[in-house]
Formats: sequence, structure tokens, C-alpha cells
Amino acid sequence: MTSAVKKLTELLNSADRYDLSPTQIRATQVEAINERFLDRVAKIKLLGKRANDANLRNIRSLDDVVPVLFPHTAYKSYPESFLLGGKFDKLSKWLGTVSPHPIPLLDYKRMEGIDDWVAQLEDQGVFVSCSSGTTGKSAMLLASASDMAWCKKEAIVAYSWGSGVTPAQDRKMFGLAPVASVARNRVTGEAYRAALQDPNSTPFHYPVPPITVGEMTKMIVLRKKIADSTATPSELQDYENTSAERQKMMDSAVITATDAIIDARGEKLHVSGMWSSLYRIAKLVRDKGFSRENFHPDNSIYVGGGLKGATLPSDYREFVYETFNISPERNYQNYSMQELQSGMPRCQKGQRYHIPPWVVPLILDRSGDHLLPLSSDEYEGRAAFFDLSLDGRWGGVISGDKVSIDTSPCACGAKSPSIRDNIARFSDIDGDDKIGCAGTVDAYVRGMS
Amino acid sequence: MSSAVTNANSAAPVSAPFFVRGEVVEGRDSIQRSRDLGVDFATPALNLNNVVHPRTDVPPLVNIPTREIIEFLVEAGQHISDPKNPHMQACFDRMAATHILPRAVVEQVTRHAVAYLNKDTLTRELEQNFSDPKVLDEWMPKQDFTGRKSFVRAYGPRLIHVLPGNSPGVAVKSIAQSALVKSISLFKMPSADPFTLVALLRSMADIDADHPLVHSMSAVYWRGGDSVTESTLFRPQYFDKVIAWGGGDAISNVTQYLGPGLQLVSFDPKTSISMIGREAFESHASIEDVADLASADIMMLNQEACAASRYQFVEGTKAQVDQFCDALHRRIVERAAASGDIRPLDPVMREEIESMLLMDDEYTVFGEADGKGVVIHSDEPVDFHPINKTANVVRVSSLDEAMKYVNVATQTVGFYPPERAAAYRDQIASGGAQRVTRLGEAGPSTIGNPWDAMYPLHRFVNWIANEDGVLDS
Repeated sequence: MTSAVKKLTELLNSADRYDLSPTQIRATQVEAINERFLDRVAKIKLLGKRANDANLRNIRSLDDVVPVLFPHTAYKSYPESFLLGGKFDKLSKWLGTVSPHPIPLLDYKRMEGIDDWVAQLEDQGVFVSCSSGTTGKSAMLLASASDMAWCKKEAIVAYSWGSGVTPAQDRKMFGLAPVASVARNRVTGEAYRAALQDPNSTPFHYPVPPITVGEMTKMIVLRKKIADSTATPSELQDYENTSAERQKMMDSAVITATDAIIDARGEKLHVSGMWSSLYRIAKLVRDKGFSRENFHPDNSIYVGGGLKGATLPSDYREFVYETFNISPERNYQNYSMQELQSGMPRCQKGQRYHIPPWVVPLILDRSGDHLLPLSSDEYEGRAAFFDLSLDGRWGGVISGDKVSIDTSPCACGAKSPSIRDNIARFSDIDGDDKIGCAGTVDAYVRGMS
Repeated sequence: MSSAVTNANSAAPVSAPFFVRGEVVEGRDSIQRSRDLGVDFATPALNLNNVVHPRTDVPPLVNIPTREIIEFLVEAGQHISDPKNPHMQACFDRMAATHILPRAVVEQVTRHAVAYLNKDTLTRELEQNFSDPKVLDEWMPKQDFTGRKSFVRAYGPRLIHVLPGNSPGVAVKSIAQSALVKSISLFKMPSADPFTLVALLRSMADIDADHPLVHSMSAVYWRGGDSVTESTLFRPQYFDKVIAWGGGDAISNVTQYLGPGLQLVSFDPKTSISMIGREAFESHASIEDVADLASADIMMLNQEACAASRYQFVEGTKAQVDQFCDALHRRIVERAAASGDIRPLDPVMREEIESMLLMDDEYTVFGEADGKGVVIHSDEPVDFHPINKTANVVRVSSLDEAMKYVNVATQTVGFYPPERAAAYRDQIASGGAQRVTRLGEAGPSTIGNPWDAMYPLHRFVNWIANEDGVLDS
């Protein structure tokens, strides 16, 4: 008997992967989650605890999955002192509580900081990605070599479906944002280059060095020192100087990138980046008198992440598309989150994010405690997913996102469940209208987020 | 289309009227959402013209003697505590829906707070804040050694209060203190409690609807950070001082409007801790006693108060500290159960505690992250803010070692045995903390003592001088 997980993940190679109705595959999905559960419950400590607390032995329905979904904060649950104090043996031990595979023994005596820890783990097939958390603590997400292989393939499949572009190695790639130097970014970057980059031209690399996990955690370390009243003024001065230098580098990168993209305006481009830097570059391109008519009509774009705190005019998207001549059908949008590894590409006609069969949507109530009854109409709630493709960590995740999902076919004709393009974060909706006299030292640390 | 996420609020939202200069303003013009519970409440439209007293009008209380103000507050206190007072009963009913604390706790806290409306207490408060409280009632003649004369007055200020939502007791105290300094006060109520202020002011209006005190006070709600309202109101032409509680966004919202003529008096967000000496381990009975004292400080206002202890630094061996943690855990569970508090832990904190349970040789966890009370024994303080019946016991070989954990956010430091406080209080004050107490007595304060490193009433008033020439020689 073929495993249900295999049945569903193999659909990656099938043309109708975004065209399967939920009723067609729901039973297989539940079976697949159960397969994952039975295989992992004794291996992932946190999962074992959750299953034990819920007295769960088998998964027979989507309701059964809810108590064993990990909140997105589970990957931030390590004690920060491990990170700040360079206690990498302990950090490995923590990683072991969320990992299905044993964490390899490392040479802790000769470990030189967090980047070295990440590198040594990677040598042994454990890939740790670290997010730059805006609240201070970074999520540490681990993945396996087979996850990396999956990402490489899946990223292009989703891009191709969502953008309508058949990869033909006929574009010049323009990376217009600094990237975090983590394994997953490197792998998908390679995949995009292999798929899209014209071998006769060279891709444009954004002239800002990739940010390593160690650099991301530097600020967290300093923040903690400020909170403890142990940071010296000269340490803060160094930090301010480094930030100013980095800002200068960012500013000049925008100018270099603007010139480069104007020079390449006749070529067929694939542009990627973040909204804030894309907007700044687009603005400069316009200021220099170039726009839509100067760029290739078949250009494509992929924008990662949200605004990340940047304040932009309300028409920033249209402004960027207009500038680089991105026609609506070449505009690729993808809904995902760092805790998952698979994406949900947006269709052009219905403007909805389509969920592939290996990602099982679970829409919960606001609190995230209960599954909402499946409805034939569109309904909204807190997004949770089970990504069956994940091998190196547990696939069940509760997000902080409020989404509207529809399980009936989309206007584009695809029969997969789909999510409306109005995703919001609960934290943004609820806002911060909290005042109390009890509080933490965080309120006394200025300018470190 | 079903909208199941709003099911919890399908009943009509409770009404939260305003109180504006003596008048109750009813209305259901906008629906607001309470913090923490996510419960909705309905408020009237806010007419900003009505909450501002023109500068040409002298504050109504300025020439009412403080003695009379105190008498009125004392009478109000009696009326507020009357179980038949309809405003307070309705307030408790509504609070049960919007506040995270159980109803019984809210009622008890409010009753306790009303005890502040006592003649001796209020008189002493003034005496501690002002070298001669008569300076509030009259232009006090002064003369320096050169013979120059003047009159000085602690003049009634125009205050805007941005109140906290964690303790209903602050409402009582804020009204009383605002009245004592003869201010004109606008209270911005918290979303967790948009009821208490109005209920208190209505009770006062029951006694005398025309009293200048009642006409000096307004209590309204707008969503914190609403830039249209805040940018309009936070101006020196309308107010002299912003009395703000809390930190983070609440304070940064306010500070952007500060400037010449508009000052900030801030009651900062605070964390409190305990220092427990090796004397606690003299006997089995002493461990139990000290654990009980520590649990009283931890569970103050069910650990929602700023004076509630969050970290306990304990001098002892690992085995001794484990024994203490076990006793402490039992006491916290008892106190939580007795108050009917079954709030679950915040998911983030729960995750962190569960990950500690899975790494049991680094941390010892007493109890579970199940909302019934939990104690974590560790070698250094945990990253998260222990709240909601959560204690973090940190073992130290000497209390000297614990001094580095005192920081600018520290408020109250409780000591066992109390005699050991004297050796550490200089260092504690230098580290940024503001208050040292006996273990188990984080709550009570000597009447009129400083708070948040200041004498608040002294800061509230506008100090005005009338120079009057020199003595004839």
C-alpha cells in the first residue's frame, strides 16, 4: 500500500496539483497526517507531550489535529540565555525537543559563535533558519536535507503556476533586497537561478552582504545588555556607528541597483525583493525618466514578505509594477509562512491563494483552540496548516493570521481550497491598547527593534 | 457567509457611558473592543469641545477648601461602598465581562481602594506631599533673608490621565488625588475597564450634582493611539500635564505630543521581586512560613499588580531551594483556587514553560503550565515576564549575587528576613528600584509615602509665585 503522505506529496509532479477539490482528498489528508503523527509522536518530544496531554493515540479527523498543532511561537521557546551566553550544547538540546531526528554531536569546544553552530549543523544535514524577529526573539526553524530538496522544486512549481511563466532560462535576474544568509534562501535562490537565469547574462546581486544568523542575533544580545544595565555607552556607540554604516551601504545599494536595472531595461527581467527597497528603486528609476515603456513587456516579479514596518504610499504596489512593466499576469504572489515550507500561489483570475493537496488547511476560531466547522461558503478564522511535505520538523502550525477560506472552486476554475487576498495579522487587528502599571524592562529599552 | 470568529460577541455589547463635567453621556455610537478578553463595548460619540475647560475659566475647585473636598470624598466613599449603590453594582456586572480578573477579586480591590477615601488618610497624604498643605487653599506669604516678599500657591492644574487597565483601585485614587490638588481632570479610561471611573463619578453626583468636584471631572474612552483625538486634546492650551501609566506604545503615543507647556508625569510599568535569605531554611516550619509570605506577594492582585513579585532570589543549596519551590507551588495553587482564578496561561509563556519541562535537567518546574499556578526553579531569571500565577525562583549562593538583577524596571523588593534589607537598600536604590518591603507585605504602604520615586501630588500642581517687592527698610 502506498503511503498517503507519498500519494499527496507526489502530486507536486502532477499538473492538477492546484485543481483538486477538498472533498476529493480530505480522507487521504487525514490519513497522511495520521501517518506523520504515528511516525513522529515518539520522536518529537514536544509532540509527544502534546499528544499525551490530549490523550491522543491516533488522528482520525481534522478535529484530532488541533491539540497537536504547534503555535508559531513554539520555535521561539528556547531560553534566550542559551543564545546570549553561547551555550550551544544547550541550544542543541532545545533543538532536540522539536526535532524528529537526533541532533548530531558537535564540537562545542571549538565553536565560534552562532554562525559556526549553524554551519556545523548544516554539515551534518540539519538546516537551521533563523528569523529576524521584530519582537526581539528569533524563531529557530530546523529542516532536513530532503526538505531543502523539496523547497528547491516546490518554489519553482508554485512560481510557474502563479505567474504563468514557463521557466526557460531566458531572463536576467535582479535581486533587489538584502537577503538573510540561511539555507532555505540559498536553496530557493539557486532553484530560481537554474530555472530562470539566462546563461548568457549574469544575475544582479544586491550589493549588500547577506545577513547571517549571527548578525541578526547581535542586536538581540545588545538589547539584553541594555535591559540588564550592563551595556556601556561605547558599545551603544559602536552599534549606532554600525547601523549608520549599514544604512549608508543600503542607500548606495539602491543607487547602484537603479543604474544597473536601467542599463538592463531592454532585457527580459525577473525582479525580486522586498516592497520597501523595490519602491525606493522604482522611485529613482522614475526620477531618472524611465518607466513602463522602457522595460520589457514580459518581465516578472516575486516580492517576499510584507512591508516590515516601512511606510509607503498607498499605491506602492501599482507604482512598482508600472515602473518595471510587470503585467498583471506576470505578477507572482505567494502566501506562506516561515513555519511551513510549501507556498500557496495566487491565481490571476480569482486573485486567491491556492492550497496544494500536501498542505491541509485548518481554520480555527480566534483563540486557536477549536476547528471551525467546514462550510461550503467562504468563512474566516485563524489560519492553521499541516504541511505534509515537512520532514525535518512537525508540519502542524497555528499562524497569527486571519484568513478567509473558500472550499468551493475559484473563479479561475481551480478546484483547490483558496484563501482570499485580504490576509491580516491578529496582532495588527487587536493592536496595542494595553496599559498597566505592571510591566517589563522592555519598556525601558529604546531604539532596539 | 458565516463569521464564526465573532460568535463570542454575538450578544449586544455592554454599554459604557461617559461622564463629562457632571453630566452622564449615554449612547451607542461606536463599538470598542476590550484588551485581553476581546469583548466589545459600546460608547457614545466623544464631543471634544465638552471635555476641555476654557483657560478663561478658573478651575471650579480652586477656592473650595481642601477640608471640604476631603469631607465630600469621605461621603462619596460611604456611598460607593453601599451595597445598594446601583452604579457600582452595574459596574461590577459589566466588569465581569471585560476584565481579566474574577468578579470577586475586582469587587474586593475596589472596596479596598475605597478605604483610601478616609479623612485621616487624605489629610496625611497632603501633609506628606506638601510642607504646608495650606498652599493648596491660599496664596501663602513668603519672605526670604534679603527681605523680598511673595505669595506662592500650589494651583489647580489641568490634567489628562491615561489610566491603566490592570487595577480598578487606581480609579479611586486618581479621582481623590485629582480632587485634592483641585485639578480639572479628564480621565481616559482603559479598554479593560471603561466602567469604574464613570460609576464612581456618578456616585459622587448622586450626593451633590452641583458640587464643583463633580464639575471638574470627566471620564471618557477613546482607543489609545487614536491620533485624531490625541493630537487634538494633548495641547498645552487645554492641559498642563499628562498623567500616564504604562510603557511601550501607551507612552510613545503620549510623548510625541509633549512640548513646552505640556509635561509628562509617568507612572512607569514595573516589575517586583523578592530576596529570600538562607534564614528561611532554619526549619521545616520556617520554609512553609516563608513560602506563604512569598506567595502573598506573588499573588497580589493575582499577579496583575506592579508590586506583585515575579522573581524570587533564594539563598540556598539546590535541594533547599527545591524544597522551598515545592512549598511555594502549593501556596500559589491554594491562593489561585481560593480566588476562583482559572485563567489559562498565555500561549507564548506556556510554550516556554513546556520546553523547560522537556529539558528537565536545566530547569525544575513545579506544577504544569495549566493556569493553576506554576513555579520554575532556575539558575538565572527566565526570559519571559512571569505573570498569571507564575513564579520564577532563582537560586543564588548569596543575596549579593542577586543585586545584579535589580534594574530600572524594578519597583518593590521584598526581603526575608526583613533585617537584611538595610544592608542592601543603598545598592537597590542605585540599581533603579524604588521600594523595599518585608516579604509578604508588598501591598501596604505608609500613608502618604512616595510612589514611583516621587511625591505625585507635588508634581501634579502648578507652582505659581506672586512676587510682592521687598520689605520697607
